Parts: sequence; C-alpha cells; structure tokens
Amino acid sequence: MKLILNHVIKSFDKKEVLRGANFAFEKGKIYGLLGRNGAGKTTLFNCINEDLKIDGGSILLEENGVKREVCPDDIGYVLSTPVVPEFLTGREFLKFFLDINVKKIPDIKPIDEYFDFVKIGSEDRDRLLKDYSHGMRNKMQMLVSFIANPCILLLDEPLTSFDVVVADEMKTLLRQIKKDHIIIFSTHIMELALDLCDEIVILSGGILEKMEKDDLSNEAFKDKIIQALRKDEND
Amino acid sequence: MIETFLMSFRLKNAYQTNGIIYSLKSIPVINRLLPVSLYRSPGLKIFANFVSILWEISSMFLGKMLYLFIIIFLLKDHMKSSPANSFMHMFFFLTITGGFLNTHIFHPTRDKYYAIFLMRMNAREYTLSNYFYFLLKIVVGFLPFTLLLGRLSGVPIVICFLMPLFVVSVKLIFTALALHDYVRTGHAKNENQLNPVALVGIAASLAAAYLPPFLGYAMNGAIFLALFVFSAVIAVFSFFYVLKFREYRSICKELLTADSFAMNKKSMAARAVQKSLQLNIDIKATSSKSGYQYFNDLFVKRHSMLLTKSAKDITLISLAALAFSIMACFLIHGAKPILNGMMLTILPYFLFVMYFVNRGKVITQAMFMNCDHSMLTYRFYRQPRAILLLFTERLKSILLINLMPALVIALGLPLLLWLTGGTNNALNYVLLFVSIIAMSVFFSVHNIVLYYLLQPYNIGLEIKNGTFTIVNSFTYFFCYFAIGKKVPTLVFGTLISVFCIVYIAVSLILAYRLAPKTFKLR
Ligand SMILES: Nc1ncnc2c1ncn2[C@@H]1O[C@H](COP(=O)(O)OP(=O)(O)OP(=O)(O)O)[C@@H](O)[C@H]1O
Ligand SMILES: [Mg+2]
Repeated sequence: MKLILNHVIKSFDKKEVLRGANFAFEKGKIYGLLGRNGAGKTTLFNCINEDLKIDGGSILLEENGVKREVCPDDIGYVLSTPVVPEFLTGREFLKFFLDINVKKIPDIKPIDEYFDFVKIGSEDRDRLLKDYSHGMRNKMQMLVSFIANPCILLLDEPLTSFDVVVADEMKTLLRQIKKDHIIIFSTHIMELALDLCDEIVILSGGILEKMEKDDLSNEAFKDKIIQALRKDEND
Repeated sequence: MIETFLMSFRLKNAYQTNGIIYSLKSIPVINRLLPVSLYRSPGLKIFANFVSILWEISSMFLGKMLYLFIIIFLLKDHMKSSPANSFMHMFFFLTITGGFLNTHIFHPTRDKYYAIFLMRMNAREYTLSNYFYFLLKIVVGFLPFTLLLGRLSGVPIVICFLMPLFVVSVKLIFTALALHDYVRTGHAKNENQLNPVALVGIAASLAAAYLPPFLGYAMNGAIFLALFVFSAVIAVFSFFYVLKFREYRSICKELLTADSFAMNKKSMAARAVQKSLQLNIDIKATSSKSGYQYFNDLFVKRHSMLLTKSAKDITLISLAALAFSIMACFLIHGAKPILNGMMLTILPYFLFVMYFVNRGKVITQAMFMNCDHSMLTYRFYRQPRAILLLFTERLKSILLINLMPALVIALGLPLLLWLTGGTNNALNYVLLFVSIIAMSVFFSVHNIVLYYLLQPYNIGLEIKNGTFTIVNSFTYFFCYFAIGKKVPTLVFGTLISVFCIVYIAVSLILAYRLAPKTFKLR
C-alpha cells in the first residue's frame, strides 16, 4: 500500500505553502517529516486529512496496484495541540468513540485494556479530561486515532509533550505497529527523527525531498539535513 | 504622553479596521460582489479605516443619546414629580450606577492588552492618556443631549451645562476609590466580574433613581447644584490622586493576564460558561444511552447548572408572575377587565418575552466552548452522518429545556384569560397556547439552526461572522419593536403561529441539507 502525493499545491491568499509536492509514502515505514517553522508541515497533514482543500494535484491511495481516493476511515491524525471534550471523563470519551465506531473496529476490547495500552493509570481513567495534563490528553488523542486502526497515521509533533519514559514507550509502540501502517510524523527533534524513522523527508520551498543516508555517519547525515533545511533561506 | 496616546489610538484603529474587513468577508453576498483583489487593495483598508473612525465618533454621541433618551427622557413623563426634577434626579443616580459599572481603567479590553503587553507601551502613559480621552468623550458626547433633552424637559440651562461635568466628577471619584482600594488590598477589581458590593451599589442607585420620582420625591435644581459642587470638590482631589498614581502597570497585569484575558471582552457569557464548566461539572451525572445520545445526554447533564437550572429558574419566575396576576385579579378591584383586555391584545409583547426567556443562545455557546471547538478537530465528528445525528439530539434537548418555561406561560395565559372573564371566541384560548409554544420552538430552532449554518464563534466566543450579527440584530429588533403594538390576539396569534411553523420547517430542511458543509471550525 502506498500514499501517493502528486504535485500537491496549496496556497493561502498569496502565500504559496505547497508548490507541487510529490512523494510516495509506503506501508511498513516510519517517515520523519522535517521542516523549518512555517514550512507547511501542518498544512500538508491538513491537506492529506482533507481538512484543507488542495488547490492542485492529487492525493491517492494505491492498493495492490489500484489507485483510489483516500477516505476518512483510512486516516488517523494526531494534532500537535491535543484537544479533547473537557466535560467527559477519559472512560466516557472512549466509550463514546467505541459506541459510534462499533462496526468499524473488528475486535473491540474492554475499555481498560485500551487505557493499559497507552499506560493511563486507573486512578485517572474516571477523571474529567479537563484535568488531564498535556501529555495525557495527547495520549487520549493518539488512542482514538489508533483504535479504529486506520492504515495511515499522521502525527504532528507527537512526542514533544511526552516525558522521556512515555516518549520511549510511544516509540516502541510505533515500531510495533509500523508494519501494517503508513506512519508519517513531523518533528523538530533531529535525534528522534534519526533514531525512530526509516526515512527522513524534508519539506522545504514547498516541495518534499527524501534525504538519502547512503553510507554517511550519523553526524554527517545530520549536517546534510541541516544544509538542506538551510537552503530555504537562500532562495 | 500625547505620542503614546496617538500610537495607542492607531493601534486600536488597526485592530478595529481588521475586524471590519474580516466581518465584511464573512457576509456571503458582499464577499461574492467584491473581487478578491479588492481585499488586498489599499482602498478597502482606507474604507474600513474610515468606518472605524466614523464608529468612534458616532459611538461617542449615539450611545449617550440613546441612554439619555430611552432610560431618562422617555420615562420622565411617567413620574409623579415634575419632568425637570425627575430628569435631574434620574440623571444623578444613574450616573452613580455608571460609576459602579465602568471607570474605564478597570475595564479589561483587548486593545489594552495588545498595547501594553504585546507592544510594550508605557502602562501609565497609556492608561492615563486613554482615560483622559474617555473623560473628554463624556463631556463632548453628553453636552449636546443634556442641553437638548434637558431643555425639552425644562431643566435650567446652567444645570444642563453642568451635567456632563458631573458625570466626569463621578467617574473620577470612583476611579480614585478603586485605585485606593487596589493599594489597600493589592487586588484589582475587574469590571467584567462585579463584586457583591458593586452589585448592591448598582441595585441601590437604580432604585434611588426611579422610585423617589415615581412617588413624587425628586430632587430639585438647588439640591442638584449643591450635590454637584460637593462632588466636583472631591473630584479635584481624585483627579490628582489618579494623576499621581504609579502602579498602573501592575493593575493592568492583573486585569489582562492571559488567563483572565482570554475570556473577556463582550464574553460575559463565555466566562460564565467557562466558570460553570470549571466549577459545576457534575461528574456524578451518568447516562445509560449510547453513541451520540450518550454524548449529548452527558453534555446536557454535566452543564445542568448552565442549561437546565436557569430554565428552571425562569419557570419558577413565570409561575410566580402567574400566581401574582391571579391574586391580583381577585384582590384588586378592577384588575379583571384590565387583565382580560391585555390577554386579548398584548400577545406581541410576549414575542419579546419569549425571545428573552429562550436559552438557545447560551446553549449553543456552551456547545461550542466546551464541546465542538475541540471535537470538530476529529474527523469522525465532522462526517455528515455524525453532524446530523448530533444535531437531532441537540435539537431535542434544546426544545425540551425551553419548553419547560414555555408550557407554564402557554397554559398560564389562557388560564388568566378564563379567570378574568373569558372571551366569546374560544379560538383565543387555543391561539394563546399555540402561539406561545410556537414561539418557544421557533427561538430554539432559530438559535440552533443559525449555529449549525453559520458557526460564528471563535475560541474567545467572539462572534466573527457578519451574517450572524446581522440576523441576530434583526431578530432582536423585530422582537423589540413588537413591544407595545396592540394587535388582537386572534390576528397576531394566527400570523405568528403560521410564520413559526413555516420558518421551523424551512430552517430544519436547510439545516439537514447544509449543516454537513457549514458546521466547521473557522
Ligand atoms: N489558515 C491559514 N491561513 C493563512 N495562512 C496560513 C494558514 N495556515 C497556515 N498558514 C501559513 O502557512 C505556512 C505554513 O504553516 P504550517 O502551520 O503548515 O507550518 P509548520 O511547518 O507546521 O510550522 P511549525 O513547525 O511551526 O508547526 C505558514 O507561513 C502559515 O503562516
Ligand atoms: Mg505545525
């Protein structure tokens, strides 16, 4: 399975953010999306998730050689600032989500198992979401994006708010599920990108560019990435 | 100081200008008429700038004129005291009410926040120069109308001239007191959150403004003059106190910190929502339903303080009013025919009552603040099916919440009509009942459909949609102008019922067709 971006164009009024981005994201890999502030990473995710209409080009999913439109159930999207309905408890939010997705989730497990999965403690499960910390909200959001088992996972700077232990758990978790998913995640933390991702993709000047590691050492590869990111400035 | 003032003025102007352009853009017709390029052209900017300055000038006069005209001038003839004395008396005490309500310095507004914290202007210079500008606007804005309306009421011309100065004196005194209070307690009062003392003061001064003249005990010119001289003397001392005061920055800091600030401006409602969310979420509430019904059920129950409780209060008040009227018709001789006549003619008045009693607007605000603005970021929540399912659930809840007070009114009116002697056309009973229920349903549907079709709020609950503002003001004025129109219940009841039913049908069809496209974050 492949997610194919073909000459995707997006601009806000006069500002061209994406200027014909081309890329094929493949199943089984974690892609690290790097780019300067304002390069358009969030915009790209919003376009893939159809939150924004693209001005040109196409975003298609290729399955066994057949191309089709991406539909809502294909995508799980974790926003950089987690938002949750504050008047519900964690358990209630999850119950609501499971209720309405009953048909789409093949094997529904007891709610507590899901909490165990993201390691939200039993004393927190029945507290209102408004009292959850940033990281806990992020976990909840991640959980509802994962449960329905979409094949594409978009993660916008997901690990930034997690403490080191949780971040490590999340990394393990992402590695566990990567073989069945197309995972794209944006980050500003170079070490994380190099450590976790199979491919590094750079968004600069409105286009996507794959960074080949070839046989460079980690240090040299880092320099290469930074050089590529700098290029934007000189344009 | 003048430089600071000019800069702050330009800043405020820029803020308003952008707001105007944004609102223009959000009205579909205008947006389509104007070519896109126009938004980037300096022409539109100049136009919006012009409107913004025009607004500044007209707000200086218009508000004060309406204030004097509606709550003083129009009422003076209903008083037992002479018009001139009533005018002076009401003006005097209402000015004191104003002192409690707004001293400008303790009023947190967005432009202050931008100027002082984002642009790092000198807080003292900023506050003082704007404060003096505020006082100047009072004098300039009031003078023409105290002269005009005062003279028309027979107030001596000297007093007409002094009235604006009296307002300035009172503002100065209240400001000095508030500043002094800050020094004493180290805590700045926020005028968007009135404290009990202020509330009592407001109630007392309002009562003092209207009751005595109504009973024939208004102050005369001599007393007004004496009180004016007295307050002017204190105002001079207050002026120096305000001028010498140093700690404006810390006051602004307390008033305008991101926290208290994120929620202010016209958003009393927003804060009420937020506050009740924080304090009153009833975590014990549970629901046995599932899916969207479960979600909506919990929403309504968790916000019962905000949603159902006030509807219950209104129901109780209506019941009390009904009981009072029934008592009146048995105890007061001659009340019966008056009430009977009213039942047959004042139905238009109830359009306004039903407008006010309806909780629809608060409910949609709560929905946005506490639920939709986060949930709409989830894609499953934005699927047409999801939107419509939840819309149906919410419509049911809103209707039910509002039907509680409506039923009391709708049953109460025919009951009163019957008790006061009845009517020979039985259709009147039916129409009273049907039209009140129709109005209640109408306002409920109106509010929720507007919310789903225009979704006008942003995070701060500021309304960012020109169409919404227009439709809302139109509804308000329509209801307002219905007051006082004496139309036979038979005619008005039929018209309004038919109108409501047609409106409800059309808007529901529209909502079911369009909401999946229009209900989104802005
Ligand atoms: N709704 C919008 N209207 C106008 N311009 C926008 C809008 N959303 C984003 N932009 C602009 O598009 C550009 C890309 O923004 P985007 O949020 O995608 O960047 P990003 O790569 O996610 O940045 P960061 O690393 O800071 O999160 C920015 O210049 C931003 O100003
Ligand atoms: Mg971003």
